[in-house]
Amino acid sequence: MAYSFYPGCSMEATGKAYLVSFEAVEKALELDAHEIPDWNCCGATVSANYVGDLPQLAIAARNLALAESAGHDVLVGCSSCYLNLAWVNERMKLEPEFAAQINEALGAANMQYNMTLNVRQLIDVLVNDIGLDKIKARTIKPLTGLKVACYSGCQTVRALRRRDFDDVEYPQMMDKVVEALGARAVPFPMAARCCGGSQQFTKVDMIYHCTGKVLESAAQAGADIIVTPCPMCHMNTDVYQKKINKVTGTKYDMPVLFITQLMGVAFDLKPKDLGFSYNIVAPGSKLAAYGVK
Amino acid sequence: MSADKEQATPKYEPAFHREFRAIENGAYASQCMQCGLCAVTCPARELMDYTPRRLFKMIHAGEKEKVMNANTPWLCTSCYLCTVRCPRGIPIVDVMHGLKHELAKKSCKSGVALLSKVFFQSAMKRGRVYEAAMTNSFYMKLGPGSIPDAMKQQDVGLDMIKHKRLPLFPPKKIKGLKDLKKIYEKAAAIQKEAHKDGV
Repeated sequence: MAYSFYPGCSMEATGKAYLVSFEAVEKALELDAHEIPDWNCCGATVSANYVGDLPQLAIAARNLALAESAGHDVLVGCSSCYLNLAWVNERMKLEPEFAAQINEALGAANMQYNMTLNVRQLIDVLVNDIGLDKIKARTIKPLTGLKVACYSGCQTVRALRRRDFDDVEYPQMMDKVVEALGARAVPFPMAARCCGGSQQFTKVDMIYHCTGKVLESAAQAGADIIVTPCPMCHMNTDVYQKKINKVTGTKYDMPVLFITQLMGVAFDLKPKDLGFSYNIVAPGSKLAAYGVK
Repeated sequence: MSADKEQATPKYEPAFHREFRAIENGAYASQCMQCGLCAVTCPARELMDYTPRRLFKMIHAGEKEKVMNANTPWLCTSCYLCTVRCPRGIPIVDVMHGLKHELAKKSCKSGVALLSKVFFQSAMKRGRVYEAAMTNSFYMKLGPGSIPDAMKQQDVGLDMIKHKRLPLFPPKKIKGLKDLKKIYEKAAAIQKEAHKDGV
């Protein structure tokens, strides 16, 4: 099955490990993903604070207009990009008046979007299109004994403000992927709780507080590592982990992997193709047994 | 909140509730039935001046000054937990976006208002956000007073540089940048026309 792929800005910079490992896994699973030509930033929810919802969703819609002629489902890895593209798509389908406003805005650039596409999050595609059987079959090095906390994050499962491909509060789908890889998904009540988002520069205490709770929950559940499909969750749990230890007196040593990085390990792909050099909490301490230094 | 603030006679502006209804997504605030589920749900509640429930009550009561100065919307991270839980189906995050947009029109000198502005400007400069330059721009615009705060995060920044998470070069400009600007400007004009009677 072919997809129009939307990487988004974070996947190309602070979340580069996600893009690198996605590409490796894409090849291994023979996923036919084509990057949307000339895509633009989705605006993230943070833009709406400044310009409001309509202009922010209009710029997100340009990407759907660009992808429409190919006719494939739009595949998105990043949670925030997924939210923006999936929500503008859903809202246009639900509210004709809103759709007319978006199309009027797109019309200023001689573009339009006829709402013929589906926007899909990576986890959804892995479970429902590729299928757990294929993931299991492709697993060369089962991750037996590895305990994983699956951190979906907030926007991944609440993009449509209703049940989407997973539960809005207690997501299960990533657990299934992880178990298909031979690892064990631990019960993790914080799976869909906020990490503090982009408050790093404006109220960093919130990161310490919210991400601190996520790390605490994972540690209490006995997890060896956390996996996530979200660049923002990854940023806060990985990049800020040392800082949280320093500020709150904790001693977490919890590697955080993008879900595609963990898949790559189980698929026995070369570690150098999985972007581990971008991880700040060294994954080797927990993954040495599976060939990751 | 200080005791003084609590005891001072509130200033009521009865027209405020109507004005608030005119801002983008503002009308939803009228649907609140004060159940308080958002208040116990919000991950930022402990840091907020007023929980969303109280904010909605103050909107109904016309306490304009308190609403417009509350840190409540600025601490909302758009996690959507309140929005999926609200029994009245109020898209609380959207109401917060509407309120922040209204406040940002008046001033974007610091905090999330400034961050949102530099983020959007970065997105519109090349069509894609350059996270490293956006951060610099945020601190530059905050001025020298922000240096101590920025210094406190130096270790985090250095880790990111060491692990190549902050690319040295910006993303390439998209080809359709002019189109993107036209789309934004048209959408902003439609929005302005639809909500011209706002706060």
